[in-house]
Formats: sequence, structure tokens, C-alpha cells
Amino acid sequence: MRRRDFLKAGLVGTASLLGAGALGPGEGGAAPAAKRLTKPIRIGGQAVMSGPLGGYGQFMRMGAQLAVEEINRAGGILGAKIEIEFRDEELKPDVAVRNARYFVDVWKADFLIGIDSSSVALAVGAIMPQLDRVLVVTHAATEKLNEQLVFKQGIRQVFRISVPVYQDGILSAMIARDFPVRTWATISPDYEYGHTSWKMFRETLKRFRPDVEFVAESFAKFGTVDFGPHISKVMAVRPEAIFSTEWGGEAVALVKQAKLFGVFQNTKAWMCGMGAAMDVLEGLGKDYPEGAWVSCRYWFQYPNTAENRRFVSRFRERWQKYPHYVSETSYSAVYALKGAVEKSGSIETAAVAKALEGMTLTTPAGKRHIRAEDHQAVYEVPWGRITHDRNYPFPILTDLRVVPADQYYRHPPFA
Amino acid sequence: MIEALLFQGLVGLSEAMYLWMVAAGLSLIFGVLRVLNFAHGSFYMLGAYLTLTALRAFGGNFWLALAALPGICVIAWGMERFFLRHVYHLEVAYQLLLTFAFVLIFDDLTRLVWGPVYQAPPTPRGLDRAVSVLGRPFPLYNLFILGVGVALGVGLWLLLERTRWGRLIRAAAMDREMASALGIRVPRLYTAVFVLGALLAGLGGALSLPIHAVSPGMGELIIIEAFIVVVVGGLGSLTGAFLSALLIGLLHAYGIVFLPVFEMALAFILMAVVLILRPWGLFGVREG
Repeated sequence: MRRRDFLKAGLVGTASLLGAGALGPGEGGAAPAAKRLTKPIRIGGQAVMSGPLGGYGQFMRMGAQLAVEEINRAGGILGAKIEIEFRDEELKPDVAVRNARYFVDVWKADFLIGIDSSSVALAVGAIMPQLDRVLVVTHAATEKLNEQLVFKQGIRQVFRISVPVYQDGILSAMIARDFPVRTWATISPDYEYGHTSWKMFRETLKRFRPDVEFVAESFAKFGTVDFGPHISKVMAVRPEAIFSTEWGGEAVALVKQAKLFGVFQNTKAWMCGMGAAMDVLEGLGKDYPEGAWVSCRYWFQYPNTAENRRFVSRFRERWQKYPHYVSETSYSAVYALKGAVEKSGSIETAAVAKALEGMTLTTPAGKRHIRAEDHQAVYEVPWGRITHDRNYPFPILTDLRVVPADQYYRHPPFA
Repeated sequence: MIEALLFQGLVGLSEAMYLWMVAAGLSLIFGVLRVLNFAHGSFYMLGAYLTLTALRAFGGNFWLALAALPGICVIAWGMERFFLRHVYHLEVAYQLLLTFAFVLIFDDLTRLVWGPVYQAPPTPRGLDRAVSVLGRPFPLYNLFILGVGVALGVGLWLLLERTRWGRLIRAAAMDREMASALGIRVPRLYTAVFVLGALLAGLGGALSLPIHAVSPGMGELIIIEAFIVVVVGGLGSLTGAFLSALLIGLLHAYGIVFLPVFEMALAFILMAVVLILRPWGLFGVREG
């Protein structure tokens, strides 16, 4: 043993003696907060990083990265630094499952976050008991994740920090019920998310407005660039309003092409659940028709709290961009994990999952309550209308409509 | 009802024009060089991206920005002259490997230069409105694309059938060695054809820029359909490529209305049927 090693061993020994001593007699179980972690905490993230929706991955990584840098600068989690790595899920379940296995088996991740696509979330969620790591989903919105996977099948490792399709399918209808519109049509993605949102929208709206009719629907395959045939198909029956859940570059192409087809002059309302995503706002810019109703999973101007303002300014400082909603959800996911590790004093999956259940967090998007039953974070995100404001390099939202989350979230037992 | 169907068809035809521009070059290159160029979709993508950069440089004037398209010629020239030329005499597998490698290289370069996020510049002023067709608003831009596509078709036909250069191309396509023996500088002709084909795809990409969102990887999306178009139309036949692009455009447009569940499969089914009944394609020449 060299002198330096000897000294080091001595120091560690002394420290641990002091640490044990500090508890003192009679204090029983160590307070978890006093515990120190020795190894870095590893978080494996995945998101779509290529193709027409590839912007999402970049924005998601920026948010998570910012949280990791902030936490590490402030001393880490119980003394442990966080290490984070992102991989491309490619919106393909098999790829994402491979990524998850790589993260856990090879890279030795302690936690998993991310995931954009619903089918990917369901596939990865299903193997979480086997991998036995906490997964915090930051974007994929299918209600099957919290209602079936967690609540019905009892997969305790899976959580979601972002809003489920209730935002796109239920809240949208609660707002649309006031529109002077009797006929609706949809142009939406031909997969889980698109079909579920449209179904929820129809069921909810019909309850409020029995007079409303749903006159046409066209579901576009993933990777659609030409929406022309879809637009002309639904416009052939002259609907009064269009509901869409296209997102990313596909939402941009759809709006541009719909404009060329005169859709915005010939309908009374346009609703798009992910139309307020930063990439769509930036992508459409001045082309975004004023008055379109849009939402997302976090809007950087809501709520007007110190927390939120601080997050936006830090994000802008770090990345010279306004935060996308996936930036906020991934940022908050990292902080939720930090909170849970500190609360439980452990990085063991069961302990962290237990700590997350029922936790209330103060996040940029406002107070989030993580329901113990289905592991879904409950918080409010507004819908609003597109407006052009010279103070921002992209269109922003006006006429914000916020409804208490309890009123539009479905509740366990999801009968 | 009839009007709605005609309208839907017209939409399908106009959107088939992008496919035609890509398939035309693919077919031309195959017909003359006998190379199946996987990277042909990359020229579509690069055409869009080069135009995008020029668009920003020229303050948003789309027509001026099209001046960036000759950049495609330089890239295509380099690819043919320094790489492709060395595999003409090798097995097809080598050509596929090489051109597929180019797909990956072009995709990654695009991601490096222009970023991974899709981009969508505004529609050029003057073309960003609708005109009345069959009593309904129809995008003027789609009419413009239809016009360009048909004009290109006529132009290519004239070039190949009515000019000396076209005769040389046809001669080289028919019998490379004989053409060479007769004093035609075949390698140079090959380069020219390759560059022309790439330019057509690049033009398609550039014209798609104002109404599509462009992103790295967009080339792969269109190349698969372009392959179907070329196979259905007959490898090497431009008439075949034109008509089968229209056919696939119509299949899409009507498939979305009548068979939405199978819409994606329709083009593949068409290809399968053609391959079984007429393997040389609708307008191809039976070989051997």
C-alpha cells in the first residue's frame, strides 16, 4: 500500500466512523437524507432522434441535460453525480426494447426516461418488470400506459410525467363544445395515438353536444408528406371544423397544405392537440393561421410562476432556444427521480417507485401530483389560439383555456 | 359525386409529379448505365436542402433559390466519376452496396450540415393560394407542379427522340460496346446521364420544399415508391415511369377514399401483380 492510498483509506475509515457516530445512540433507523451514495447515478434516455419527427429527441435531450447539469453543479443526488445518455428509439418498438436492454444490461442504467411513441412506450413498459428499473415516460401519451399497464396489470416500475391523451381527446372536446360548429372531421395519424384521441374527442363532445356530427375521417400513415388526398377527401363533405392530432413535421406539412386548399377560409375551427409544440410553431412561423386552437404537454408561458420563469430563462441561456414541451417533461422527470432517490435514500427500484407514488412536485409546468394508483402525473396544460406576436420569433398562444386537471383526467378504476 | 372523384384524382395526379421527377432520373440512369442507384433519393433530399440554404441566402426568394440546383450536378458528377465508374463491370451486389453506402453518407452529412430537425420554409408568394377547380378550392401550387411535371416529360421525350445527344444516349443504352466502337465517348455520356438524372430528382426535392417539411431521411421515403414506379413502368422506360407514377398517384388518392386500411399496400400489390404477369413492366422491353 502506497502512502497516498493509506491516507485515503484512513480518511474514508474516519469519515465512516464519524458518520455512524453522528447518528448517536437511540436514533434508531438512519434518516434517509443523511445517506450518501457512492457511485454515479446513470439515467438512460431514449427519444426519436431521426426522421421527420427527429426534432423531438433533440429537445428532449436538452431538457434532461439541463436538469443533470444543474443537479451535478449543486452536488448531485445524495452526493452522487448523474450520468445521462440518450439513444434513438426510431419510433420502433423493437429498437426501443433493444435500447432499454442495452441501458440496463450493458450500460448499467439505474433509471430510464424518455419515449415519444405510444406503441414504443407500451412495448418497453411491458418488459420493465423483467428489467426491474423505474421508467419515467416523458412524452408518449396513450392512456393504455397508465390505465392498463400500470393500473390493471400492476407494472409498478412505469411512471409518466407528461400528459396522457386526455389532453388531446377530452379537454379538446370540453373546449369545442362552445364552438358554433355542428360537423367535425379529422385528419390524424394512423396509429394508436391518432385513433384513440379521435375516439375520446367524439365520445366526450357527443355527451355535451348531442347535435354534433362527425362527418369524415382520414388517417394518414406514419411518414406521410402529401396530405393533399386526405384533405380533399374530408373537405369533399364540407365539414365545419377539423380536429387533428398530427405532430412534428407532419403537422407542419398538414397545416401548410390545408392552407393551400383553402381549408382555413372554409371551416370555422381547427384543433390540433400538439399544434403548440415548439417545433411546429417554429416550423410554421408566419404561415401558422391565426386563431387555430392548439395545445401541447407544457406551454412555456404557463403557469406564470417563479419556477417556470426561472426554467425558461435557464433553458434559453443554456440552449439559445425556448423550451419545447418535451424539454420540460424530461427536465421534470430527472428532478422527480432526484426527489424520489432523496426521499427513499436509495436507488433500488422498489424503493424509488414507492417514493414516487403519491409524490407532489413543484415543476416548471406547475404542481404535479403523481397518482399512486396508475403512476400518472396530474397537472394542467392549457389550450389556446395561435397569434402572431412581434416579441417572439414564432407564433404564440392567446386566449388560454385552463380546466382543472381533475375534471378532464380519467380516474382509477377507469370503469 | 363525380366531381368529388375527379377532384380527388386531380390531387393524386399533382402529387404524383414529385414521384415522376424522381422516377424519371432513376429509370434513365438504369436504362443507360444499368445501375440501380439506391442513393437516387438522396439527390431529392439534397435538392431540397441546397434550395433551402439558397432560399435563406437570397432573402426568401424561391425562384432565385432554385439557382442552387446545379450544386446537385457537382455532387452527382463526383459520385459517378470517382466511385460508381469503378463498379460498372462488377456484380450488381457491389453497385447496391456502394450506392447504399452513399445513402447513409448523404443522410449523415445532411444531418451534420442542416441539423436533424425538419425544416419548412414558407410557400412562395403568388403560389400560396387556391383557385377554383370543379367548384372547390384547389392549390395553385399543385397546378404549377402538374405543369412542371408534364413539361419535363415532354422535354425529356424531345431530348431523347429528337436530338443528336438523345440518339447517342439511346445507342449507348442499347449496346455500349458497339457505341464505343463507333466513336461515342461512352464514359463521358454516362456521367452526363447520371448528372441529368440526379438533377431531375433534385428539382423534385426543391419543388417539394415549399409545401412539405424536409428532413434527413426524406430520400428513403420517396426512393421506395420511385422503385415501384420504375418496376411497374418497366425498367429504363420513361413513358412507363411517367404513366406508372400517375397510376400510383391515383391509387394513393383513391385508396385513401375507398380502401384506407389497405392504401399503403396498394402500390406493392400493383407491383406484385405486374411482376407476375409482365415481369418486364408495363412499358418495358422484354429481354433475352
